[in-house]
Amino acid sequence: MRAETLKGHLDGLLLAALEDGPRHGYAVKEALRDSTGGRIDLPTGTVYPALHRLERAGLISGSWSVVGGRRRRAYELTEAGRTALSGERAGWQEFASAVTAAMGARPWPATS
Amino acid sequence: MAGHELITAQLELLAARLPADAVDELADGLWQAYETRLGLDGDPERAARAAIAEFGDADTVTAAFLRESPWRRAALTLLATGPVMALVWGAALLTLDVRTWPIPLAVKLGYGLALLAVAATLLLVARARLAYRPARPAVVAAAFGLLVLDLSMLAAVTHLTEAPPWPVAPAVLAGLGRILLTVRTLPAILRRGA
Repeated sequence: MRAETLKGHLDGLLLAALEDGPRHGYAVKEALRDSTGGRIDLPTGTVYPALHRLERAGLISGSWSVVGGRRRRAYELTEAGRTALSGERAGWQEFASAVTAAMGARPWPATS
Repeated sequence: MAGHELITAQLELLAARLPADAVDELADGLWQAYETRLGLDGDPERAARAAIAEFGDADTVTAAFLRESPWRRAALTLLATGPVMALVWGAALLTLDVRTWPIPLAVKLGYGLALLAVAATLLLVARARLAYRPARPAVVAAAFGLLVLDLSMLAAVTHLTEAPPWPVAPAVLAGLGRILLTVRTLPAILRRGA
């Protein structure tokens, strides 16, 4: 899926990936890829700054641990993050219903 | 598990650009990507290249950090006020007889140059892709510079004009608005961290 298609939905996707419990950045990216059957496979390195932004906004909180000699930062949803996720989900469902209704189930016209 | 020089080189590049905590976090992710690929492929060179491709190279990652940074956001916000401020202050200054103000020409020129310097700094931060470390001090300096410039202009207008014509009112209001906006952006841009 193209990156521009995800614009405006990345926050909701990242929050949803943390809904089941704390995850570190790489695991968040893996969870996103697995839950979408590989259709959303972001460059892993770009997930971290988005997580930092969500943390600054108070929607997730991070904590450090040491695993296998490496420092690892795991994130979990805050109460504000759960509320924001509910809002993102409701907004997406409304948007998806509207677009589906507008486009209908008819096949696309042939272009040639 | 043994490392790989390609991964190490990427992390050295990132370490030169980003805060230490962010680099530690990225290192953990990049080594995980490498170990996963190595487990699947078995060839260290291919695994390292695949991990970097999956992760994004150092330039891509740095650009993503800049894109999401509060400093770039602040730079864009302050830049967005430019056209409106130029319009209202342009109209106001046209109606005021600025030439009669008892302010030396050098100070007037200095004001204009300082305003251009602030705008150029904000524009550079907004367009930067790799200069993560300089972005924060640049935006902080530009924000404080803008505060001083806006306050100076308001002080000059209120002290040097006795009966200001009506176009001055929207300019003064816009100036006060931008001062409030700049002050509100300060906590986010003064905070350290990725």
